[in-house]
Amino acid sequence: MASVNPAIDIDNTNEEPGTRAPLVLGGLDYAGVTETVCAPWEAENPPKIWWLILAAALSLLLVLGGCVNHLLMKGVGVWGNNNPAYWGWPIVNFVFWVGIGHAGTLISAILFLFRQNWRTSINRAAEAMTIFAVVCAGLFPGIHIGRVWVFYWLFPIPTEHLAMWPNFRSPLLWDVFAVSTYATVSILFWYMGMVPDIATFRDRCKSKIGKIAYGILSLGWTGSARNWHRYEIAYTILAALATPLVLSVHTIVSFDFAVSQLPGWHTTIFPPYFVAGAIFSGFAAVVTLLVPARALYGLQNLITLRHLENMNKIIMATGMMVGTAYGIEFFIAWYSGVPNEQFAFINRAFGNFWWAYWIMVTCNVVIPQLFWFKWCRTTPWFMVIVCIFVNIGMWFERFVITITSLCRDFIPSSWAYFHPTGIDIMMLIGSFGLFTTLFLLFCRFLPVIAMAEVKSIMPHGDDHH
Amino acid sequence: MADKNDKDSKLVGLLAQFDDPDSLISACNEARLAGYKAMDAYSPFPVHGIDPAIGIQRSLLPFLVFCVGFGACFAGLGMQYYTNAADWSPIFPGYAFKISGKPLFSFPANIPVTFEIIVLSSAFATFLGMWGLNKLPMFSNPLHRISRFKRATNDKFFLMIETKDENFNRSETESQLNQWGAVAIEECRQDLTDNQLPSWVRLVGLLGVFLLMLPPVMIFRNMGMTSRSPRLHVVPDMDWQHKEKTQVLSPVMENGEYLFTDERAMRKPVDGSIARGQLEVDSEMYRGVKKDYKAAANSAKTNARLVSASIEDKEDAPVEPDQADQAEDVSMWMTQFPEGVTVDQAFVERGQQRFNIYCSACHGYDGNGNGLVNQRAMALGANGQAQWTAAKSMHDATVKDDSKNPLGRIFDTITNGRNTMGPYGAQIPAEDRWAIVAYVKALQETGIQPATASTETDGADEEKQTDADGGSDKEEKTS
Repeated sequence: MASVNPAIDIDNTNEEPGTRAPLVLGGLDYAGVTETVCAPWEAENPPKIWWLILAAALSLLLVLGGCVNHLLMKGVGVWGNNNPAYWGWPIVNFVFWVGIGHAGTLISAILFLFRQNWRTSINRAAEAMTIFAVVCAGLFPGIHIGRVWVFYWLFPIPTEHLAMWPNFRSPLLWDVFAVSTYATVSILFWYMGMVPDIATFRDRCKSKIGKIAYGILSLGWTGSARNWHRYEIAYTILAALATPLVLSVHTIVSFDFAVSQLPGWHTTIFPPYFVAGAIFSGFAAVVTLLVPARALYGLQNLITLRHLENMNKIIMATGMMVGTAYGIEFFIAWYSGVPNEQFAFINRAFGNFWWAYWIMVTCNVVIPQLFWFKWCRTTPWFMVIVCIFVNIGMWFERFVITITSLCRDFIPSSWAYFHPTGIDIMMLIGSFGLFTTLFLLFCRFLPVIAMAEVKSIMPHGDDHH
Repeated sequence: MADKNDKDSKLVGLLAQFDDPDSLISACNEARLAGYKAMDAYSPFPVHGIDPAIGIQRSLLPFLVFCVGFGACFAGLGMQYYTNAADWSPIFPGYAFKISGKPLFSFPANIPVTFEIIVLSSAFATFLGMWGLNKLPMFSNPLHRISRFKRATNDKFFLMIETKDENFNRSETESQLNQWGAVAIEECRQDLTDNQLPSWVRLVGLLGVFLLMLPPVMIFRNMGMTSRSPRLHVVPDMDWQHKEKTQVLSPVMENGEYLFTDERAMRKPVDGSIARGQLEVDSEMYRGVKKDYKAAANSAKTNARLVSASIEDKEDAPVEPDQADQAEDVSMWMTQFPEGVTVDQAFVERGQQRFNIYCSACHGYDGNGNGLVNQRAMALGANGQAQWTAAKSMHDATVKDDSKNPLGRIFDTITNGRNTMGPYGAQIPAEDRWAIVAYVKALQETGIQPATASTETDGADEEKQTDADGGSDKEEKTS
């Protein structure tokens, strides 16, 4: 039914006055959308490249597992964390992954509330990416707490022998609540949005095991109008809940830093600046994942150039917000008249971590400026390169914030340089293995595109509204 | 065909297929106008405008979620108050713990967690409430047996009018549906013979529940019983760390000897190390000894003090009279207050306050040697139940005599103790010691008469005896 060769990108990025640019191309009808999305899932075997990437991802996952095991056996000394850099790469990686995990909910919730219909073909994959990124993010503080086997002390669980409770006045505990709430709500939102599409899979599935599995997962969904009515209300409520939630999560993550007294951390700009950075890195990660995925699965008619261009525009906008924040930080340091603050920022740019700072500025502020050129933001392979640089830059942003401030605290006698260990590096690389494995499995077994939602925004009959 | 199935199955409704959402909506409108109520439309996506067409009332879900969220707000605040600010313990004790000088309960600090709890509870209320109101999950539905209906999740639109509607009439309803533009009409029948779960489902379910119950049952069993076997140590090197604790014996080596010859596990500071803030080079301020005197007669000792301030040196350090030096050189002591000290009203009042805290227990509030400890000890001593040297009266002639007891000597007495009096240098900062000296001098000016003769003579005798011991008697006598 998908008659148009999906490998050809149709340029739908130009605005035609008086008409809406179509979001589904190739003349696809409802059945065409279903066919396009289900084709890779119904294929007997996934493409060879899928197996190759899965093999690579599983090896990295193995590395991660080995590192975590080593850590548990030996203790946190296997990391490069030292005095005074008590927060090393684990926290850098945590903030990095949580940041990436912001795009999904932003696309599903905030763009939904703003009635941005173009979100429908990217929200499912973005939500999945969110959840997998939060899984990676949760790993790092989880193993950073030292005694992992009593991790449940983080939560207010009544225990007879401990007779203590978490300290609710600490931002670190707010973080526990924020990240776990975010993970839970994201999974609920993701799963609820997926049920109608899983029902499609159930109705098309041919294998016995698949029928049972998708049958249970789809909860007996029929697509009844009464069900849709409550479903849409629930979806809107969840979107309305997730919108402040997604903003609160990175705000609270930034409180981990901003509520402390350390020069370079103790700033009120952190919450908005962290949220902008999170959206920035999250969208970059979505583009990085979706460009290869749409090519591999032939989804060019659903994830069109217009979708990619829109995301690139958001990347550029948030990139400039982040750039502005970098500038404002210096201004406030100067304007505050506090020598410690001034030193902290001069040290960031010109101290012994100058290289990290300038990698960050180059990747986050300079490179996204390429998206001013239309060719750059509508050429898939090129935008992936830019987006990879953006995420390198965003990792370095968290590195710069965490490490440079800690290595130059109030007492010069405790100043030190930070060196990551091999375990640090392998864990970061390994976390990509975990993320990629989960994403590949998602692409193989679950609906990558929200079919029901795409169909609901397609023009039908005579009225093109 | 229908008759044949009548025994085994029951007609649930008539299912009509439509090819696009607009004809579905118009058919729904027609059906509603025709008086049908028990009907439902099925579509692959939410068709807008269908709610009024089949007469769907607005769901209660938002109200439900609001109530849950509202309750969660108080539950969240209450939990934080109970766990962090309350001390009462109905079941599990609260833990009111001051930390970082933060108030036990303050809204700004408790908003983030409250907010997250509201969002979490509301999200669950939305999710579970929606499925509950939709009566899902429901795995047994006659619709799923119709192969045509599989396209309801793909590209086709359906309207089912159910038999329970009072206007339902098998043939009439069918003709009406045809009239409203149905592409195809099919009976939806419920299979009455197959209304039992497959037997293996129960078995698997029971087995699953049983297996899931095992871990909690094991945990509760072990929590409720005592055990003779040692506690489970997950990570032993955390519980038994390779370190020596304070105040314990030195570790023993393989040959049976102590690793450290002094048999202590704790190590003393390296010779010559001086703790931060304890350099104390100013002998006038910290030892009450004239600078000139120190430079002239005792330079060797002072240098030794500077080079080595280890614990051992403590007795050598202050330029105290040597053990051999029977005749004390009174000229070494300061007769003035040192430069860093300004004697004014506030200073003397400070001295009074410190005196009342540290000195009055033995020496009495008026300095006459009649403090409570002294009274009690004297009473016990009279019965032969205690050995006690009476506390000195500040108004004693010897003590008052500036030539025998210059300011520096009083300061030194407070700092290092004298005779049976213990040293207070560790408890009282140097400035406060000078303040006490000032207050003692002020007390002596009040003209209070020395206490009873017995105390005086005892004290005087004692002083003579113990002066012979060089004032090194450190017997604890203080409270």
